Amino acid sequence: MAKNLHTDNAPDISTVKPHFLFAAIGFLVLGILMVVSASGFFQAYYNHRLLAITHTAVLGWLMMLIFGSLYQLIPVIFDTALYSERLAKFTFWFTAASIIFLVYTFWIGDYVRLLPYAATFMYLSLFFFVFNIMMSYKNARIKNIKASFILSAVFWLLMAETEGLLTALNFKFNFYNAIHVAHLHTHAIMGLVGFFVMMIFGVGTTLIPMFLISHRLNEKLLNKSFYLLNTGIAGLVLSKYLYPNRFVILVFWSIIIAGVIYYLLYINDSYKKRMKKTLDVGMKYTMLSLVFLGLPVLLSLILILLPKSNGSRYAEIIMLLYGLSMIFGFFTTIALGQTYKTLPFIIWLEKYQKLVGKYHTPLPRELYSEKVAGVQFYLYMLFLLFTPIALILQNQNLMLIATVLFLIVSVLYNYNVWKMFFHDSEQYINKREKEILKDHN
Amino acid sequence: MTAIRKVENDIYELLKTVMDPEIELDIINLGLVYNILYDGDKDVRIEMTLSTPACPLGDAITDNVKNTINKKYPDFNVDVDLTFDPPWDASMISEEGRKKLGM
Repeated sequence: MAKNLHTDNAPDISTVKPHFLFAAIGFLVLGILMVVSASGFFQAYYNHRLLAITHTAVLGWLMMLIFGSLYQLIPVIFDTALYSERLAKFTFWFTAASIIFLVYTFWIGDYVRLLPYAATFMYLSLFFFVFNIMMSYKNARIKNIKASFILSAVFWLLMAETEGLLTALNFKFNFYNAIHVAHLHTHAIMGLVGFFVMMIFGVGTTLIPMFLISHRLNEKLLNKSFYLLNTGIAGLVLSKYLYPNRFVILVFWSIIIAGVIYYLLYINDSYKKRMKKTLDVGMKYTMLSLVFLGLPVLLSLILILLPKSNGSRYAEIIMLLYGLSMIFGFFTTIALGQTYKTLPFIIWLEKYQKLVGKYHTPLPRELYSEKVAGVQFYLYMLFLLFTPIALILQNQNLMLIATVLFLIVSVLYNYNVWKMFFHDSEQYINKREKEILKDHN
Repeated sequence: MTAIRKVENDIYELLKTVMDPEIELDIINLGLVYNILYDGDKDVRIEMTLSTPACPLGDAITDNVKNTINKKYPDFNVDVDLTFDPPWDASMISEEGRKKLGM
């Protein structure tokens, strides 16, 4: 009999599905907010409208997608079941409500009256998630470097959220003398690099070689990447607090960059040894996202090396470009790609696992429109091209065009996600059987 | 050819219709099937592996193997024996499979 399969520990689809749906809606809302506040990109990067957009992107879209994907992948990475599916379901609803509350608070710019409450709710929801992952790790039968990436990612998430919560509470209670923008930097480093980069890297170490079908990879590269990234992040956060010297910051950023380079070398190893020579749309997004990762790396170095640039409009544009290249160039590109890789399989397994072999069943990639995914891909590349040009030229019309492109991308993405969710397996099988019968006659 | 061998060959051909949904190649040409053993009565054992022990499609592939055989031989007891010794690697792909994958 089939034994020791990771599918034995797979979570129920009802635990995973809502995350993908919420993320798709979050992506659409993000598109709408960006069109509505296209002019917000020309103001200070910490203006409340941009903060609402940023949090819709990182929480409503990316975080939800990561939650859903990770619940599905825990059995694969940890070789154990998720600690509590009930907690995961509760966390979903709690997180969904908290995200809506937090984004609304930023949107209206109510930092004193609402933000402390919204941040507290957000903190609790993320805490439930972190707890569930840490308890799953405790039961893990595999505790390798891939699992360590996941564990340290959730640790940094907790740190980022603790800092976010303290900053939000400080708006109301003023218990420490703080420059909020400085805290925004460390919050962003721990959240964007510590959580998102680390988590994407961790999940990527399993998914990318699996989808490229490559074996015998050099795992030493991953070890180096892991320790360099964590040392760099910890050093950077501590130096920002204790000794915000430009040289020290540069040293720790360089350590982070070295960690990124080792990771990219690992992926390059996987790419070279891949069996699947042709990349489908999902893997095209994924590979490009890793190329795009070079942009925030370069921009962060420029920001550190620019002499006395802090506060100037020039530095603000670079800072904005840095954030955008990270969120849209890397995170969103890889998220779009991996949705087209993981979601079709999740839906396919739900609808066809018991039917394969009995009837003619579609391939997972046939559950969505590849044509729509292809158009979406090229429009998204245009968005990525137009946005930095609009910012550098300070051209509001071009920025509006870029955000409209983004909105179209989000509509196309939603079309495919909903198409998968509403796929009717019975109808498909009846249609195929009739076609086969017709061909036979 | 003995009757047993004939059935085993037939099952071998049947398994060429069982696809790995990600790689989009059948499990025979992928080299996932190590052995097909028919006892001459109603028991069939398929010794096979997966492209990786972490393969999330493991159950779907083994269910497909059982269903495909039972569709033609409804009375057979099909036992899918998964093994990762030896672990699968790309050298196990047939020439035909390599052509299909563009390797």
